[in-house]
Amino acid sequence: MARATGGRADQPAPCVEVTGVTKRYGATVALDDVSLEILPGTIHALVGENGAGKSTLLGVLAGRVAPTSGRVRIFGEPAALGNPRRARAAGVTAIYQELTIVPALDAAANVFLGTPLARSGWLARDRMRARFAELCRDFEVTIDPDVAAGGLSIADQQLLEIMRATQADSRVMLFDEPTASLGAPERAQLHALLRRLRSQGVTVVLVSHNLEEVLDLSDEITVFRDGRIADARPAVAWTKASLVEAMSGRRTALVTRTSRPPERTATDPVLTVTGLSAPGVLRDVTLDVAAGEIVGVAGLVGSGRTSLLRALAGLTPGAVGALTVDGRVTRLPRSVREAQRRGIALVPEDRKGQGLVLTASARVNIGLPDLHRSARAGWLSGRRLTDQAAEAARGFGFDPARLGQPVGQLSGGNQQKALLARWIYARPRVLLCDEPTRGIDIGAKEQILASLREFAGQGLAIVLASSEFEELVAACDRVVVLSRGRIVSVQRPGDGTVTPATLLRAAFDHQPFVEDSHVS
Amino acid sequence: MSADGTTTLERPVPAAREDARRSGQRLLGGLVNSPLTRLGTVWFLLLLVVLAGLLYPGFYDSGNLRNILSQNAPIGLIAVGMTFAMIGGGFDLSVGAVAAVSSVTVAKLTASVGLPQAVGLTLLVAAGLGLLNGLLVTRLSINPFVATLGTASIYSGAAYLISDSQPIVVTVPHFQWLGQGLVGGVPVSVWILAVVFAIGALALWGTVFGHCTYAVGGNREAARLAGIRVDLVQVVGYVVVALMAGLAGVLLTSRLGVGQADVGSDMTLDAITIVVVGGTSLFGGEGSVWRTGVGLLLLGVIINVADFQGWSGQLESILKGCVLLTAVGLDVLTRRLRARAGAAST
Repeated sequence: MARATGGRADQPAPCVEVTGVTKRYGATVALDDVSLEILPGTIHALVGENGAGKSTLLGVLAGRVAPTSGRVRIFGEPAALGNPRRARAAGVTAIYQELTIVPALDAAANVFLGTPLARSGWLARDRMRARFAELCRDFEVTIDPDVAAGGLSIADQQLLEIMRATQADSRVMLFDEPTASLGAPERAQLHALLRRLRSQGVTVVLVSHNLEEVLDLSDEITVFRDGRIADARPAVAWTKASLVEAMSGRRTALVTRTSRPPERTATDPVLTVTGLSAPGVLRDVTLDVAAGEIVGVAGLVGSGRTSLLRALAGLTPGAVGALTVDGRVTRLPRSVREAQRRGIALVPEDRKGQGLVLTASARVNIGLPDLHRSARAGWLSGRRLTDQAAEAARGFGFDPARLGQPVGQLSGGNQQKALLARWIYARPRVLLCDEPTRGIDIGAKEQILASLREFAGQGLAIVLASSEFEELVAACDRVVVLSRGRIVSVQRPGDGTVTPATLLRAAFDHQPFVEDSHVS
Repeated sequence: MSADGTTTLERPVPAAREDARRSGQRLLGGLVNSPLTRLGTVWFLLLLVVLAGLLYPGFYDSGNLRNILSQNAPIGLIAVGMTFAMIGGGFDLSVGAVAAVSSVTVAKLTASVGLPQAVGLTLLVAAGLGLLNGLLVTRLSINPFVATLGTASIYSGAAYLISDSQPIVVTVPHFQWLGQGLVGGVPVSVWILAVVFAIGALALWGTVFGHCTYAVGGNREAARLAGIRVDLVQVVGYVVVALMAGLAGVLLTSRLGVGQADVGSDMTLDAITIVVVGGTSLFGGEGSVWRTGVGLLLLGVIINVADFQGWSGQLESILKGCVLLTAVGLDVLTRRLRARAGAAST
């Protein structure tokens, strides 16, 4: 347990006091006995790798996540945990990446959402209008009060949310990656606004992956690692290098390498893509994958990991680039079917939303890309489908007795195995896996990674995108690191010198700041 | 933890209560999936048939049973088609109008071409109207509700134009055989209904196309990413339901001996009622043709019982509405329980 305080002599009373907060999701510990004090009128940054616990803590403060144990005090009063309404009433407002704007309502109405100004039950439009103008003046921005909020830029929508929080008299504002989807000018504008809020006595809690931004803005920086506080110091006592070091720490790999990558002779790559660009998300990406190889894709949130996989799978219509599959030069696929004809298959990141038909049985889900293989003249043979699905699922240790069960009733690990088995059933040449182990327990995770290794050993070319650096180091022969849509580094974990920290550093080091706004 | 990672894990439940809740939910889950609740409409239908037989001596007469079936044959055909469209995640409000267009078209055509040609051309027209519905929904991404509301109005107006708002009397011999004839003591329309039910049930249950329909209705995006031609599957659903509406229009015309532009007025809502009462999900991905069969018989028997009681059409309408709301309410309730039971088991 680490205790983080400002450490100054004449400290004012903290406005947020977190004491011994633990949050468990099943076997996963997201927060482990965290204690933290945040001083009023400061900008306090929470940093850490994906999954370190910072967003969970933000959720606890906002009342969105109920901790398993522990206490939180806001301005000295015990906070009602797991109750967003009560948190807001206590003066705490969270502004998430997914904004809570009502697109069809006009800008002014969005600011007064939930706290309308009224005179004996009637909306006082003139007063709201005047107050909106006042807020715009305060924030030094111009937003037309009558325009539908859905038509505004992301930056302006964010401003409306901040105005709403100000209007609701929030004394503590929590920001989750507020600049991730902003271009450079908007980012500078937001920074100025955060400083202004601080000068007005508002406490800002900031979660951000952008270390320069954090160093530049914050008064205090608390570093999270594996659900605990790794270190907490005033911002002036941190440097970018010391932050990265504190975030990665020295850890042993989660997953041990199950088998050495096979000795490869100089075979031609199965898939080569050159100059792959997609407006706003990818810039000039060049990548090749050989049979038997697992190539990892690392990067921070918004770096383009998912976009790269989706472009290769025919899901980004605007993407351009040259593609070679098995020595044959073709255009980028423009549909999923076209990608599949070329032998490229995607295991999407959102298992339930994009992957599985939850109401259908596991065997139908596995056979879905090519039911005709188990059919004669359009007539599906249940037995043949079961046999073929069982064969595909066996490699992942999926219990064949569960093949007839609706996948909605299976555990997360088994669902993921069924989804992966689908693409073994489909016999692709290249398998693109987006976060194949997200949200599943460690046993299933290791089994899935071992199975992927095995399928690679049988000649499949695999691209593995993951937000977990340990996983990439453990499973991949090569890892490309993406930042803002570009490959900024290529690492080879196979030779034993690459650690998760290497990848993390590469992902951060190349993160352009302010001067770069081509990709946002 | 990234913001997108936490959303799927969100389940703020104190750990102490979790176990008790889970065992409770397992019990609920078992109840939801038991034959008692899963086959609720079947039990209800059996109960109703037994009671009706006891209360009304004439209920089991072959004449009465034949009547229930033949009267409901046209609407039953549409309900089978609607089952396809709804399992595939679609919805069709234009079936009544398609039946009307078919009725006046076949009546008009019999005057100029041979009987088989007239029927064939009419079905072709109906299929074309369904194709238009399907293209509006898939290509232009118009909400199915709105798209078919619009086409319903257009098709209905067209039917009045074609018929000049007058009943068209069919004088061709043999035409009435379809709607009124008997084969082996059973009305021809009932034979047609039985064949359509059998083909429909087998197609959904046993073919690749059927499984694709369930997948598209269950999760359109997942089906698309699995490489299924989701648009094609949905368009076929709309064509099937329109084709069935066309066939229903022809049968009705044959039974009445006249083609009319107002034959389909009640049919759309009745067909949807039958499908939903049977237990096919309004949200797609779940349901079956045999369930629709149960729904058809249930509604048919209820109306028949109302006739025995001598209730007015208005009372029948109220009764139909109550049955529909009960069925949908139960569907929503079991869905909620199942979702909770599912969440507990993962």
